[in-house]
Amino acid sequence: MKNTLIYIDQENIINSIELLEVARQIHADQEYQSFGLLINQQIENKYLGEFDSIINIKDQNIKSYDQLALTDVIEELQNEYQFESIIIPATHIGRMLAPRLAMRLHVGLVADVTEIKKDEKSLELIRPAFSGRIMAGIETNAKKPIMLTVRQNVFTHHIDQNKELKMINYQPNNYNKAEIDLLEKKQCELSYDIRESEILVSGGGGALKDFEQIKNLADKLNAEVSASRKIIDDGKASRNIQVGQSGKTVSPELYIALGISGAIEHVAGLKNIENIISVNINKNAPICSLSDIVVVGDAIEFVKKLANKLEKN
Amino acid sequence: MKIICLVKYVPNVEDIKYDYEKNILIRDNVKLILNPDDACAVAFALELKEHQPEHEIEVITMGPKSVKPFVEDLLRRNVDKASIISDKLFAGSDTYATSKILSHYLKDKEFDCILTGTNSLDGDTSHIPSQIGELLGLNQMSNITKIDLARFKKTKAVIEVENGENVLTYAMQLPAILSLRKESDYKLPYIEYENMSLDVSDRLDIISNQELGLAKEEIGLKGSLTKVVNTYNKNFEEKDKVVVENNEEGIDFVYSFLKKKGFV
Repeated sequence: MKNTLIYIDQENIINSIELLEVARQIHADQEYQSFGLLINQQIENKYLGEFDSIINIKDQNIKSYDQLALTDVIEELQNEYQFESIIIPATHIGRMLAPRLAMRLHVGLVADVTEIKKDEKSLELIRPAFSGRIMAGIETNAKKPIMLTVRQNVFTHHIDQNKELKMINYQPNNYNKAEIDLLEKKQCELSYDIRESEILVSGGGGALKDFEQIKNLADKLNAEVSASRKIIDDGKASRNIQVGQSGKTVSPELYIALGISGAIEHVAGLKNIENIISVNINKNAPICSLSDIVVVGDAIEFVKKLANKLEKN
Repeated sequence: MKIICLVKYVPNVEDIKYDYEKNILIRDNVKLILNPDDACAVAFALELKEHQPEHEIEVITMGPKSVKPFVEDLLRRNVDKASIISDKLFAGSDTYATSKILSHYLKDKEFDCILTGTNSLDGDTSHIPSQIGELLGLNQMSNITKIDLARFKKTKAVIEVENGENVLTYAMQLPAILSLRKESDYKLPYIEYENMSLDVSDRLDIISNQELGLAKEEIGLKGSLTKVVNTYNKNFEEKDKVVVENNEEGIDFVYSFLKKKGFV
């Protein structure tokens, strides 16, 4: 029986659990057992879905942001359970923990995996490269565990049955603590999460000259504003509202893409969107092929005209 | 204090075009730039030195020798010393092998703090800073948007980190690796006019594997644990789209679509 470990990050518990789907795609051809690692967290059992076992560590000396201690703990667990794969959510902490752990275990690591291709002979982990302009299929050397990180909302786990969950209370023997203290934690200013929006009005390079106008249209549609990487790179908006591979994956009911060409980097962040309207001076821009309606023209002019129309009606 | 800035020169991905017919990346005429996150690391170090000139800054980069003119420009901006780690034998190194090479060079160096960027534009894995941290036995922090200048001391730094939802303030013991994000907005100063063509060659070293002495099995493709076996262009399901103009008719069409679907 093969074992797989999923690190459950308190920054993003639900998404950590979704990684069960990644485990399934990697190991489905054989019998395997899924372990979730919970450190100093309380989660209702119903959220733990189809994990076979939860390794539950309660030790207040292990801080959630202490990579050194976390690496030591997971190394110890690896020695004990001989995991075939370790899957870590690509959160702020996960993206620091995974490389450190991979180096400790002397195994390769593939970051931000978006797709898994498996046949009898090989396992290919696919991730975007060159800012998402192309997808690269990556193989790691034969040594175990296979290690990868996965961003939020990329895989969806369908719970069809709840297994009998085995809770393993575990006390690690040896770990070093890093000299680091959390002094303060405050919420980012942004009041909404684009991953939960029903309507997103999103701006790109073609809306750069007057990005503020987009807010006006969003208000009239009871929508929220998001943006492509171009806008973020230009400092016009905070990274928290960035859609795409290097930003967030979104699934609104309606997505209005204003002056966004739709490079793979951006489109990788659009998932299960029923309705897309795109406005672009180039009707052959990649985003147009995904759209229900393509408006050929200047994004800002369109925003003004549609806002006007909405106001009158 | 002795500060090391680890930086990378990357192809400006904005210049990379995709040929949708041939399904290939067109990388001709793509310029190298200092990775934006890494530029913030150097900029912070220079800001610190501006206030307290006794700080010593060394920039270390790994890459082709063609980055030399760029590195020289950093030296003309008041960086004290620079090293380019460059050898054909390093080509093809993945993040694992790259971290090993850089750590091998760093392990004999004296420093109080290593500054890096968080992500690179090209690879975007963010592996190197924490992997070097592991190899050197140092703590590391990514996504730093601010380093408190007044409280930046030999044994301790106070930093602000953004994780998407929260702004977190940490006190971290030094030496450690601090990885900035371009939102930190530290900006590289201009080169002063009189330094524009300053000869900086005595402050620049080029280090090959002859000096480092790493075994061939540890570096390049051989020393890598991951390899790219395929590249794909991502294909998306196409919709039956309606193309309209940006005129009254077009706006009416969009409006009735929104109405029909219940969005207005």
